[in-house]
Amino acid sequence: MRQTAGTLNRTLLAILGILVLAAGLALLLQASGILPTLANTPPAGRKVVSGDLHPFFSQPSAVSVLLVIGVLTAVLALVWIIAQIPRKNPADAYRLDDDGAQGRTICDPSVLATAVENQVNTLPGVVGSSAMLRGTAEEPDLTLKVTVNDRADVRELLRHLESSTLPDLSAALEAPLQRRRLQIDVSGRTQSTGIVAHSTGVVLK
Amino acid sequence: MNPQGAHALPFTVGDDTGSGDIDSRGQTVLAHKVIEKIASQVASDESLAGGSSGGFLGIGTHADLSARPKASVELSGNIATLSVEVGMLYPVPLRQATEALRQRIGARVTELTGLEVRQVDIKVSWLTSDRGDGRGRRRLL
Repeated sequence: MRQTAGTLNRTLLAILGILVLAAGLALLLQASGILPTLANTPPAGRKVVSGDLHPFFSQPSAVSVLLVIGVLTAVLALVWIIAQIPRKNPADAYRLDDDGAQGRTICDPSVLATAVENQVNTLPGVVGSSAMLRGTAEEPDLTLKVTVNDRADVRELLRHLESSTLPDLSAALEAPLQRRRLQIDVSGRTQSTGIVAHSTGVVLK
Repeated sequence: MNPQGAHALPFTVGDDTGSGDIDSRGQTVLAHKVIEKIASQVASDESLAGGSSGGFLGIGTHADLSARPKASVELSGNIATLSVEVGMLYPVPLRQATEALRQRIGARVTELTGLEVRQVDIKVSWLTSDRGDGRGRRRLL
């Protein structure tokens, strides 16, 4: 139901991996003596900086540069951590008008999601549901989580969702669903929403 | 001079104006609320759109297809821009239903008030699959 930063993590970890791999290769080449031969770098074991480093790092400019680098690294790390928080990432309000010249028509996706939930909750064995719409009004995506009890006929539930719930949503939006994600959980709770049934009995006077 | 929040209707003059000055006949003034109520009544009577009812000071209201939708109007001279907040039956084709509602509101408000309705903004605030007519339906608890 929620979106995580999987793609971002993979991309950043790949970049970091490449950088670390390059550094490791450079160290190996340096240690084996190949790099000094190829790039004319100082051989391994020789000191490249002579004297005390303290005067260099005590300069105000060096301190400022290190401070900026540190803060930048910390901010980037913080942004990366914040990106790990799972997000629902719901769609913006759906525009249901063609051009808007005669007025706009707006429907919040949560309104449609609630209608879907109300419809699903009346199905036999369903104890709860949660719907989320993403995408646009022309290309909507539906993520539906349905919680059923152990008495539910899951096959019948799926058949009903395919034959009624999803087509109803498409009919309301007048657009086919681009992607549909369905998650079914089983719970020990009992159904509390009731079922709307058509009465066919005889009226007694 | 019009009071704030009101719209003065222009006179419709026939072929024979008869005796007397038109200005001396007085002025018909429509308050904003009148136009809003006309729009919401049209939406309620002549479409499947509904509003909210019950509650106190806007708290605890519930969706009601028989209630009047909430409407507001912005006037610029003789031109009106209406905004209507409606609830509808689910699943109706929302584009078609709201477009029909827009045309109907625009035509009827123009007909009844003489205003030129340029735009009707519609916000669908709830959807229900329960018609609420109670015909042949029982809720098993």
